Amino acid sequence: MSLVYALVGAGIVACALFMILSRNLVRMLLGFSMLATGANLLLFLAGGPVTDQPPIIAEDASTLAASADPVVQALILTAIVIGFALTVVIGVLVLRAWKARKTIDAREINDAEALGQPRRNDPADG
Amino acid sequence: MLEWLLISLVGACCVPLLARVIARGAGFLIALLPLGLFVVLISTAPVIERGWVRSAGFPWAPSLGLDFTLRLDGFSFLFCLLVTAIGALVTIYADGYLASKSPAERSRFHTLILLFMTAMLGTVLAENMLVMLMFWEATSVLSFLLIGFEGRSGRARRAALMALQVTAFGGLMLLTAVMLIGNEIGTYSMAEAVRQADRLVGSPSGNAIVACILLAAFTKSAQFPFHFWLPNAMQAPTPASAYLHSATMVKLGIYLLARFEPVFAATSWGRNTVITVACLTMLVSALQALRAENFKSALAYSTIASLGILVLLVGLDGPAASVAMVGFLLAHALYKAALFFCAGSVIHATGLHSLRAMGGLARFLPLTALACLGASLSMAGIPPFIGFISKEFLFEAQLESSWELVPLAIAVVVNAVMVGVAGVITLRPFFMGRGKVTQVRNHETLALAAPPLLLAAAGLVISLEPGWITRSALRPAVAAVYGSPVKVDIAVWHGITPMLMLSGVVIATGALIVRFWRPIHERLRAVDRLDRLAIERFWGMGLRGLITGSRRLTRRLQHGDLRRYLLTVIAAMVLLLLWSAFAGGVRPRFPVPDTIEIAPTLIAFVALAGAIMAAVGRSLIASMVATGLTGISVAITFLLNGAPDLALTQFAVEALLVVLLTALLLAVPLSSPVTRGSGMRRFDFAVAFAFAAVLALGVIDMAASRHPSAVSDLYGRLSYVAAHGRNVVNVILVDFRAFDTLGETTVIAVAAVLARALLPHAHWAQDTAPPPATHFSFRMVGKPLFWLLLASSLVILWRGHNDPGGGFVGGLMAALAVAILSLAYGTARAERAMRVDPMMLVGLGMLLALCSGVPALLLGRPYLTQLWWEPASWLPAVGTALVFDLGVYLVVLGAVVTFLLGLQKEAAR
Repeated sequence: MSLVYALVGAGIVACALFMILSRNLVRMLLGFSMLATGANLLLFLAGGPVTDQPPIIAEDASTLAASADPVVQALILTAIVIGFALTVVIGVLVLRAWKARKTIDAREINDAEALGQPRRNDPADG
Repeated sequence: MLEWLLISLVGACCVPLLARVIARGAGFLIALLPLGLFVVLISTAPVIERGWVRSAGFPWAPSLGLDFTLRLDGFSFLFCLLVTAIGALVTIYADGYLASKSPAERSRFHTLILLFMTAMLGTVLAENMLVMLMFWEATSVLSFLLIGFEGRSGRARRAALMALQVTAFGGLMLLTAVMLIGNEIGTYSMAEAVRQADRLVGSPSGNAIVACILLAAFTKSAQFPFHFWLPNAMQAPTPASAYLHSATMVKLGIYLLARFEPVFAATSWGRNTVITVACLTMLVSALQALRAENFKSALAYSTIASLGILVLLVGLDGPAASVAMVGFLLAHALYKAALFFCAGSVIHATGLHSLRAMGGLARFLPLTALACLGASLSMAGIPPFIGFISKEFLFEAQLESSWELVPLAIAVVVNAVMVGVAGVITLRPFFMGRGKVTQVRNHETLALAAPPLLLAAAGLVISLEPGWITRSALRPAVAAVYGSPVKVDIAVWHGITPMLMLSGVVIATGALIVRFWRPIHERLRAVDRLDRLAIERFWGMGLRGLITGSRRLTRRLQHGDLRRYLLTVIAAMVLLLLWSAFAGGVRPRFPVPDTIEIAPTLIAFVALAGAIMAAVGRSLIASMVATGLTGISVAITFLLNGAPDLALTQFAVEALLVVLLTALLLAVPLSSPVTRGSGMRRFDFAVAFAFAAVLALGVIDMAASRHPSAVSDLYGRLSYVAAHGRNVVNVILVDFRAFDTLGETTVIAVAAVLARALLPHAHWAQDTAPPPATHFSFRMVGKPLFWLLLASSLVILWRGHNDPGGGFVGGLMAALAVAILSLAYGTARAERAMRVDPMMLVGLGMLLALCSGVPALLLGRPYLTQLWWEPASWLPAVGTALVFDLGVYLVVLGAVVTFLLGLQKEAAR
């Protein structure tokens, strides 16, 4: 099963990267969100043999029996929330860009480039 | 000695403030600081006289080999005497020279001069090479500040920058040399480095060490081809030129060479290089001195020639060379500082710079003319001045050394030119050309006349009464340089010797140069090839090339296309990964094939199909839905593989993303025009595919090598026993790794602050937008759904410690409840239902999470150690972990609601 998940996870990452390379900012944003999903799936795979036992200690036991790796799950849980926050912050930026510039094409957001080169007449130029 | 440096440093910062209070004559008071140090130095003369060495120091950073150690031997002593004595005269002189400046500027100048004096003392006293380097760099920086003192003048700024570039390059070379030496012998002690000179030179970095030391010395002492910064440095106020650029700082290169003579002499090429460079410097500067039009630049080029002679003497072997070097060092410092003072007085009085415009000034500046005459006679080497004695030593050293006659011939020519320059700069401005200048702007004052007179007189007194200075300064200095005591006999008359005859030749040639200066000068000035081939031009061209080149490179790298930036990053990652895998000889392993179950495989393929759909879909809506499909399928995959917590969180996130992104998509155009051509798309696909392929190989390899994780095992055993929780994932988050979680919670809080700052928000709960037109059924169920979700979020928060759930997912659920409210009844209604600003919730949550660690701190346990209290067996245990989780819950809730309402309101604007 891990082979299937590895291929699917890598496939999701490939699609996500393809979207990130787009110049449409919304498409990029969706790509980032999907990249997080794919990465989480691959991280989950790193946690050990695939099992359907959740890492929860049974009522009558005091230690954890054989189950999925809890450390990886703790990592992924925060990663999901952080990835979500990242996606939303990008979303906020895209919305601001649209409101301010009326474009969601990355090429047209070039205010920094329009400022040109640093000033030319510095003393070191002689 | 430590206290000398301390007094000097503190004094440099405080004493010059006097110049702000006292209008006239503050220089005399300020000069008491260098003068006091001078007197203290004189009082240690008996120690030096016996050939003893005084040491002092304290460990500073012993682990780095950096001890603040100082050492006062004869050579350092001579330097210290010169630095303090001339320092005192410079302070006095500057008071007269800068009389027309504002008190603030005078005070600034005095501060810089005294700080420079401190740096000089530190450099020549330092025993640890790192300490020396520190002071050495300080002299470069102060030189920069003094050259650029007239910061409004573009030429001064350019000259200051040029001097800094050259000398700072030398400083870097010195740093390299010191590091290599320390690496080789394991200590930064200069004495130890010199003692182990043979070992240093024999080491693999031996040649590099010597080359770096030579470069450092040549740049500091303005040797060819680095000499060009010194004439430009004449932009500095004249007292600074006298002090830094003739008498003291430029001699630091000589000091360094003299100290490390055993090191460079141990290589086969060291002495040859030093002597060749010295000869070239002498020739080039003698030529330029004859071409110079300005008083100060004539002096500057003759200073470079003198530095060349000093470097030549360091390079020559034999005791006579050491005697000559020390003698000439002293003589030159005395007469050249005096001449600079005279030049300054002339410029101050007339405002003229060109030698040809001046004449007959002896009438207006009689004392200056007298001082200039005395100093020039010393420079020309006329008996009985000290310059004559040092010249005798110079020729004696050359005759005695094992060298051929070429350097001797060059020295004779250069000395003749120096006689000529001395004659020209005395006779032309002061005594010849009567009537060229009919009035002066400023007359000489005590402050302007006394320093050059004193120096010129010292040149005469020392040669006639050489007893004390020979005993206490010259002889110990020679002994320190040569390594063993040498007989030093200073007398004006030695009988008819070859040296005397050479002196005669020199003086005769010099007299001819004075006589025919004008035609020689004009003929040489006509040769403009000399200007075209000047090193300075190449330096300027190199600098311009560097700036243009970096500008081009910047334009190439900073092209402003986001897609190409990302492509570069991704492609670089692929290449680095592949390279490291190949370099390490790693071959991917494959896991043992296990059973493939139909249902989970199908769900995984749905996730992949969603991803592909999102990537190729034309419409943004379709892409968003497909992205959600991938997310939900991955969530189901988590659920099927024993990760209910992850599944819950992912479901909540996907639901919220739909709400949030819909708000965004309502604002922006949905049909996206094509932004990439088909070629670009193919290329992007290839890069993305390559990255994914490398990633897949890595993950498959990782899956094939299963090893039990010790930390997971530990958490599994301790979770219930130590942390009272059955849900290990949640226990890890709130207890074992609570500090990590705190950091992640902070990230979310910061994201909320960012969103709030970016989205202009109306005043809280004062939105008057009408409610959206939603379907009747949604309006009916909206409120019950809100309460249901809110209640279940609290349940999820509470039960999280023992069952799937917790603060993160609870917060997301609660935010979902608010989202439903705002979708059904509008943002205004949702805001009212919240009662408080969501940012308040974020703050409160952060506060709770941060404070939950404090009780442990009070009990003396590490921060964020969670404490538990079990009131009775039938009551649930309570602990600080619950407070922590509540904090996380509130932060997530507040942050998501901030995002949600902010986006929805901004989109609707």
